[in-house]
Order: sequence, then structure tokens, then C-alpha cells
Amino acid sequence: MVPYLDCFPEELLRHIIRYCQPYSTTALEQTARRFREVTNEPLLWRYYCLSDFKYWAQEHEFPKKVAGPVLSVNWKSLYKSKHLRYRATCRSLDGILATQTRRLDKIQTIIDLGYDAKDALLQNFSVHPEVEDYLARRYYAEALLTSLHRSVAVREWARLKNGEELALDRLLGAFDLFIPKSGLKSLDEISDRLDGISMLMNLAYPAIDRLTTRDKARAVASFLRVNNLTGIEPDKEYHCLEHNFLGIALSDPRHNSLPLVSATIYCYVAQRVGIDARPCGFPFHVHVIVLPPSGCDVDGNILEAGRQGTPMYMDPFRSDLDTPVADLEYQLAFLGTSPTEQANFLGVSQPLEIVLRCSKNILNSLRHLAQISHKELTSVDVIGAKYAAIWSSMLLSYGTRPTEFRHNLQWLIELLNTEFPLDIHLVEQYVIPLIHGLPEYQDILQSLHAMRGMDEIPRRVKRRSSQVSEIKYKVGQVFRHRRYGYRAVITGWDVECGAGEERIRRMDIDYLKGGRHQNFYHVLYVLLGFCFGYVFDADLVSSVEDRSIRYVAEENIEHMEPELSDIPLALVFVAGKYFKRWDELTKTFVSNIQDEYPER
Amino acid sequence: MSEQTEQNAQVEQSAPQILTFCTNDNAILEVERDVAERSVLIRHLLEDLPASGQAIPLQMVNEAVMKKVIEWCRHHQKDPPSTGDDDDSRRKTTDIEEWDQKFMQVDQEMLFEIILAANFLDIKGLLDVGCKTVANMIKGKSPEEIRKTFNIQNDFTPEEEDQIRRENEWAEDR
Repeated sequence: MVPYLDCFPEELLRHIIRYCQPYSTTALEQTARRFREVTNEPLLWRYYCLSDFKYWAQEHEFPKKVAGPVLSVNWKSLYKSKHLRYRATCRSLDGILATQTRRLDKIQTIIDLGYDAKDALLQNFSVHPEVEDYLARRYYAEALLTSLHRSVAVREWARLKNGEELALDRLLGAFDLFIPKSGLKSLDEISDRLDGISMLMNLAYPAIDRLTTRDKARAVASFLRVNNLTGIEPDKEYHCLEHNFLGIALSDPRHNSLPLVSATIYCYVAQRVGIDARPCGFPFHVHVIVLPPSGCDVDGNILEAGRQGTPMYMDPFRSDLDTPVADLEYQLAFLGTSPTEQANFLGVSQPLEIVLRCSKNILNSLRHLAQISHKELTSVDVIGAKYAAIWSSMLLSYGTRPTEFRHNLQWLIELLNTEFPLDIHLVEQYVIPLIHGLPEYQDILQSLHAMRGMDEIPRRVKRRSSQVSEIKYKVGQVFRHRRYGYRAVITGWDVECGAGEERIRRMDIDYLKGGRHQNFYHVLYVLLGFCFGYVFDADLVSSVEDRSIRYVAEENIEHMEPELSDIPLALVFVAGKYFKRWDELTKTFVSNIQDEYPER
Repeated sequence: MSEQTEQNAQVEQSAPQILTFCTNDNAILEVERDVAERSVLIRHLLEDLPASGQAIPLQMVNEAVMKKVIEWCRHHQKDPPSTGDDDDSRRKTTDIEEWDQKFMQVDQEMLFEIILAANFLDIKGLLDVGCKTVANMIKGKSPEEIRKTFNIQNDFTPEEEDQIRRENEWAEDR
């Protein structure tokens, strides 16, 4: 009696199939009727969905599906659609890596998939160094991931501006999505963390339901402060950049945050224990306004019909106790505010105002960075922070502060060109509709058009053989700059200086020994600590240059043959923009821009 | 082999309790209790039965298979007991450790018998290794190749076959 696979009891077949990849399972399905049934069980495909994919675009409502009845979902077809998107992402990424031409469409395809693209990008990001183009794959996967995150954030703010009601924690979490260092993977993570805190709060105060509003409000403040979840530790600089980010405040073990962020955390937890707490528009320092339930005052006393209890104020950033309204009124009077303004400052602040305030705070922190001593330097990507502040401010203050808007617009376009070219579709989708009629409209339209044009036309091929003079160095070689000492990688060359007359004069190129008529090289480098001088330049726009690209005369190049481990990690990473991998034998980077420089 | 002898020697020193089993082809096998208790079924049986010293009948398992099972249990005697809640991490670890891979290099009949026995005796680790081995045999094969490997009779009509193939075409994009 030889046992056959098709005589196995169903439970054993199920067990086996769980170890199969879905593509093996579908092959097994096609062998015989016996397997067709067991390979189509909803629980199996639900399991595949859960174990193969971590991130789901919101439209799937995946958490709801998982929580609901198994049979209410066609899990196999859900898996199929997810799988096809995963593959589409991989194919588009492969296309981006294959040629420098027509990358923008592929980028857009990926970004449009939203979180359905994320698993595939993460997979490519953590690709093994033995893969022949691992540097390029990592670089572009990361660039796409960060662009994807930004598109999620921007969409959130745009929805707010369109009048949708959105939770403040998501709107502030959107800033974190611009900061790779924040480590925030999705906006749901913010509410998950806040829910976790609320749960601990409930455990710490099991009888909280029986307290009055005032005592509840104090209990929440005290709980958050005892657990160090609000405020800033005394040894930390108030204006430190990371104190602006809700995601960082929640995940960093020190949990330092500005009043605005502390108030947001407070309001979330307070609302979970049943009090109506919202940020209040008090100037300079965000407070929280707590409204009593209707028919009562904050101390639980029943009020006469028709009377509304007066609100109370909390300052979770620095106190467990409520702030007497008289104190606040005194401060406002001291500032010389009118009674109407006072009512405004003491009222509820709408999410849109809070987001704008956060954006202002970030720009403020960036300005303060210049004054902070070096050991306080932030680990947060200042360019990303600034970019986030500009985006939120532009989308949300549109129509109210025209001068500021146009100033931001200039910055935004500059950053798009120099740092975030992958975001062109975001600018086209969200910014262009806002700038109709502005004097710079045509110019911006043209520059976007030029970017698209560059993308569509294959690169002009530069061949060594056709050059009269000899090009000494090759694409992919590493060198030290003779004068400035930095290490860089060659990404291209010109037979003579290709810069414009004005730039030639500004750079003193004619004072070089070889002058302008020598070979010039496009090079890639990473200047560590570049960002600090850069951000504070008051007139930023004119001074922004691409931080990773330089143009170097041949006479300044001192060729090196370093080990990979001698090259700064950051440089190895950005090398992926032009190179596939490092070659141990020749001590050079292997070109991924053969379509432009077809040299070996 | 020498490892086994060494283990046996140790076992004898501490005089462990020896159990006897009778397989369905009437072979009598002696096994240390610690080893046999890798099987949840046997552990529960021993808890419920008074120690009679009589051979325990195993009606679902023959001698050759039982010997393999014992070999596996002896090798994995010191493994931590399975927690049983590793469902989600299962498929990520289709790799099989080297010893188990060698252990599973048997003909298909024996492989299936081992799986059935592991299922009957409730030895989770062995069942997992067996199922993984079968999954690896399916991996990367076309339906026709799978049929050949496992001697499966195609009972679809050509129309059905064609339809199911089209339904599943998406999975070939990988």
C-alpha cells in the first residue's frame, strides 16, 4: 500500500501548502481536482496576504478585511492584485535602472501605487551586495521610498485644505514622512503608538471614568509627564529641530517635544479617556483647551438649562495642573491684544492652523540651528525638514499670505531641481494648479517642461574615440581633489570647460594652470556637514547648489585606487545614482550610465 | 553513528526508563522514555496509562518507519519544545537544517510514511520537516512536472485544464 500525495488527509495537504510559495500552490492546483479544492481555501490565501505583504494602500482597507469574517473577502483575488502591483513596481524599477531615458513615467507608475509599491521597494532596498547592480538598486529604491512617503504626506495636507476632516496626529505625522531618520513607516504607526499610550493610561487609572473633567485632565497631564512623554528635558535646546516632529517625539526614548507636539499627544490621549481636549490658539506656546460636557462644568456640577460651562486650560508641556484663565488673559493683555483677538487666542485652534504653526516652528528651528553649538547638531535631515515646512505652508496657506507663498514657491522649485527631482509629479499635481496667474507661472511651467524633455530624449552619447585630446580618467574612478582634499567619483567628462562665461569667471577657472581648455570632469561627492552653512544663508535661493555634484579640472584630480572600505559610506550610497556596484579588481565603480558614456 | 553510540552510552549510565513498542508488523522496539516523549501522543498515553511494562501497540506504523522516527527523535531529543504559535513565521523558513535534509533523503514512499507517522504520533518538528521537504519538491515545477513527481492522475477535462491555467497565469509573473 504505497501512499500517494493525493490520498493525504486534507489537513496534511494544507500543512504542506502553507510551506509552498503561492506560485507553487497555483501550479499544484492545476494538477488534479483533489488539489484544486485544497489550494483555493480562503484561509490559505488570507495567510499568504498576511505573510507576503506588510504594506497595503489605504484603498484595500486591509486591517478591516483581516478583522472581518474570512468568507467576506476573496482573498485569492486580493492576493493576485497585490502581487501584480508588486511585480509592476519591480518592473518599473528595473526599467529605471536600465536606462536614463524615460524614467519619470516609471517613477510615476510606482508612486501612484502608493503603499502597494512599498514592499517591493523595501525588498530592492535591502538587496544583497552580490546582485550585480546592488548600489543602483538600493539608491533608487530609497529615493522612490522617500518620494512615496512625501506623496502620502502631501496628499494628506491637500485633503485638509480641501475641507476634509483629518486627525491632527496624521497631519503632524506627515512631517515625519519627509525625514527618513524619523523611521516612521506609515501614518497609522503614529495612531498605533498613541493608542498604546492611551491603553497604558487606562491601566494606570482604572477608575478614571468616575473622575470629574478637571481631575481627568490633570490625570492625563500627570501621567504623560511622569512617563516623560511631554515637554523637553532641561539639558536639551528648546529649538532643536527634532522637537518639532511628532513621530520622533513618540519613538525617541527621550520623547522631547515642543509645546505644539506635546499638546497634540495630550489631546489624543485625553480624548481617549473621554474629555473634549483640543489645541488652543494661544500665541508662542500652544496650550490645550478642555471643554466641559454639556450641562456640566469641569468639576461635574450640574448647570442650569441653557448654560454652557466655561472651558479650562492645560499646559501639558510644563505642568500637571490647569492654567488659570486669568493668567492667560493677563499675558494676552500684556501683549496688547484686543478683546476679539483674545477670544481667538483662547479658543480652539483648527488642525490647519496647528499644521501651519508646526511648519513655522520648523523654519524657526532651522534658523536657530546656526546658533546652536556643534555638539547639539541635529541628526534630522535639515533639507528634508525644510522641504516639509515649505510644502505644508504652501498647500495650507495658499490664498492667505501671497508674499510668503511666492517666497516658498521659489524655494520649492529650487529644492525640486537640486534635491528631489523625483517629486516632479507632486509639483505638477499639487502646486501648478495653485500658481495660475502668478508672474512666475510661465517660468516654472517651462522649467518642469525642460525636466520632462531631458527625461524623454536619450542622452547624447559621449565617446572617447571621437575625441581629439585624450581624456585621462574614466567614469567610475575615485580621486582626491588636489586643492580641497575631498574624495569623489567621476561621473562624466568634457574635453574643455563646459561652464558658462559668467561661472568661469566666478570660479576663477582661467587662473588654473591649464585654464579652461583642459579636460573637465563631472564628479560626485558628499560633503559632510554641508547642510549647516547652507540652510542659514538668508538668501538661500541664489546660493543653493546641488550638494553632491561638482565640476573639476583635470589638473586638480589625483587618481586613487582605494579599498571600498576607505570610501565614505555616504559616498558609496549615492554612487548608486550612476553606478551599479564596486569592482574589487579595478578599484572603480561599475558604470550604470553606459547609455551616455559607453566606455568600459 | 558514533554520536548515537555515545548517546546510548550516556543513557545507560543514568539508567533511563525504557519503553517497548509493538509496530503493526509485529516488531518489538525498545526506546528510552525521554526520546519517545517527543511524541505528544505517546506522552499523553503514558500519563493516562499505568506503567504495565507491556509493549505499547502502534497500529499505524511499521518497523522501518518507526525506526526512522526514533532516529529523528533521538537526534532532536534536546530541542526546545515547540511553542505552537509560530504559524506566521512558518513559510519564511523553508530551509531545512543539514542533518534533517540528510535524514529526509529517502524514497517518496518512506517520506510519506514518515509524515503520516509524525502526524499520527503528533511530533510537530518531524511533521514540519516532512512537509517542508514535500513543499521543496513542488517548488519551481510546472503542473506536469508535479504530476510526474508525485504520480498524480490528471482528472481535468482539457477545457477545465485550460481554464484553470488561464486563471492562474498571473502567478507565473515573478
